[in-house]
Amino acid sequence: MKGNIIKYAQDNIDTDVIIPGQYLKIHDYAELATHAMEGLDPDFHSKVKEGDFILSGRNFGCGSSREHAPIALSHSGIKAILALSFARIFYRNAVDGAFLLPIEIDEDAYNGISEGDEIDITLSTNEIKNITKNQTYKMKPFSEIIGKIIAAGGIFKYKPDQD
Amino acid sequence: MGKTLFEKIWESHIVIGKQNGPSLIYIDRHLIHEVTSPQAFDGLRMNKRKVRRPNLTIATMDHNVPTNDRSLPILDQTSAVQIQTLEKNCKDFGIKLFDINSPNQGIVHVIGPELGITLPGTTIVCGDSHTSTHGAFGALALGIGTSEVEHVLTSQTLWLEKPKSFEIRVEGKRKNPHAVTAKDIVLSIIKNIGTGGGTGTVVEYRGQGITDLSMEQRMTICNMSIESGARAGLIEPDETTFDYLRGRQYTPKNYESLVDYWKEYLKTDSDAKFEKQFTLNINDIAPQVSWGTNPGMTCDVTESIPSPDEFSKGDPNQKKGAEKALEYMDLEPGTPIMDIKIDRVFIGSCTNARLEDLIEASKVIKEQKISPNVRAMVVPGSQMVKKQAEELGLDKIFINANFEWRESGCSMCLGMNPDILSPGERCASTSNRNFEGRQGTGGRTHLVSPVMAAAAAIKGHFVDVRELGLS
Repeated sequence: MKGNIIKYAQDNIDTDVIIPGQYLKIHDYAELATHAMEGLDPDFHSKVKEGDFILSGRNFGCGSSREHAPIALSHSGIKAILALSFARIFYRNAVDGAFLLPIEIDEDAYNGISEGDEIDITLSTNEIKNITKNQTYKMKPFSEIIGKIIAAGGIFKYKPDQD
Repeated sequence: MGKTLFEKIWESHIVIGKQNGPSLIYIDRHLIHEVTSPQAFDGLRMNKRKVRRPNLTIATMDHNVPTNDRSLPILDQTSAVQIQTLEKNCKDFGIKLFDINSPNQGIVHVIGPELGITLPGTTIVCGDSHTSTHGAFGALALGIGTSEVEHVLTSQTLWLEKPKSFEIRVEGKRKNPHAVTAKDIVLSIIKNIGTGGGTGTVVEYRGQGITDLSMEQRMTICNMSIESGARAGLIEPDETTFDYLRGRQYTPKNYESLVDYWKEYLKTDSDAKFEKQFTLNINDIAPQVSWGTNPGMTCDVTESIPSPDEFSKGDPNQKKGAEKALEYMDLEPGTPIMDIKIDRVFIGSCTNARLEDLIEASKVIKEQKISPNVRAMVVPGSQMVKKQAEELGLDKIFINANFEWRESGCSMCLGMNPDILSPGERCASTSNRNFEGRQGTGGRTHLVSPVMAAAAAIKGHFVDVRELGLS
């Protein structure tokens, strides 16, 4: 999976800046997407392209349980968030509805990847390749249940093993 | 080896799963509100599914309801649609709804406990991160997103990874619990462990500093567990818990036999092991005021704004975060907290809008008026809290001091209804989040206790409420 990076080199990006509360009344996902990241980066909507990835620091998606946050990012074209760590509700919201991939990275990837870099993510090997810089980093593998939900395409498509 | 309270509740709710792996967990109570449920009901309709246990599902409207006169129409059309949608969904799927005109309407995390819907040993979910509040009763209470809301509606279960267990011990005794409150305890905890300190864990709060607290104070503590990143926070139920729930509207008929069972079963064994541990001694803690844009950016009211270097202790991202926060908050390092002037005061939210919060805040007023430069509002957590407060005459105390006395809802905690800050306005708020724009675009939030908020309203700036002779 290839895409270009939009980098926010900071911790604690909360769901209130990803999609401010006043927009939680919007039912239409395309309209919701026009307000994605508005609380942090008013230029986000004009610069994001289909297939982009966001790179950020620790505790991405902290705060409110609003699933509108991954939905707004996903409908803006974002396919994955690469972050040092995630808040748990955002993490589950991202995979439950198959909106985007939350990928935990290490400091090497966080420091090595820059704004605009082209990245190739290979889930089968847990590898992140930086095509622009010709570097390779490891991603933290998904846990058993998260990997299965992602592979199935969300919690409503996931069928438990009867083992 | 013994088990923790969390492990006991977890294991007693496993439908499918291994002891330490992902499990399908049964959900005993599902609370829903107007904002995170509409897409879930759409999903049910699209897939021709029913609500599996409508009698375990309870709804109210709180996030975007106006807090002015309830006899007036809702002017914001999108809010009105969301409220009507919840009414229709509850009617179509047979779910009990406490609507905008119900005497039981209120913030979902206030009404669950006060109606006796929240019970020890149960699993409780809601599409709201502050569901952790219900953990004060020894329930495993988790905030979830809308896909999970739909999953629970249709199956009464959730696929969950077992979180780690985290013991937070609160030891000691506060010198004046009327001035240094549960809010100050939980802000102190978050200041110490950080906004990611609890990530992936269920916190059990223990120690004398916790058992000394009333149920309403315990709810304030558990409510803010999510602000440290924890999945949930809980407290072992005791006589305080059982007394609180006795005789409430939805308390089960066989209550006393349940109490006997809870007393025997719902406790952390003495030889149980926690995977993480933190201890806070509260003998000498001061009233807390947040200065930045996350709840970990908090200091004592007697301190000054830290510099980004002091705050970050060498961590570059923390330093950058502090610089950005100070810019947003328009504050200079070295400014004494007590010199910060405020424009607005909000006493409300699922953190601090229960009867006891309002009683304690009212004691600060002592027939004074709020500062002429301040606009202040009190938003009771529920209609029941409002009614009880009015029976005690609290509404008159607040109104005579020039506070606005409003109808119940989430209100200015999250800026979804007309109660918002204007850009640049600075607010002393009893809510739970000081994120950028949380209370309105460009608004600046300082998280404080109800007594600090009331005192700030009167003085126009923060004060050391320990010097007010509160009792």
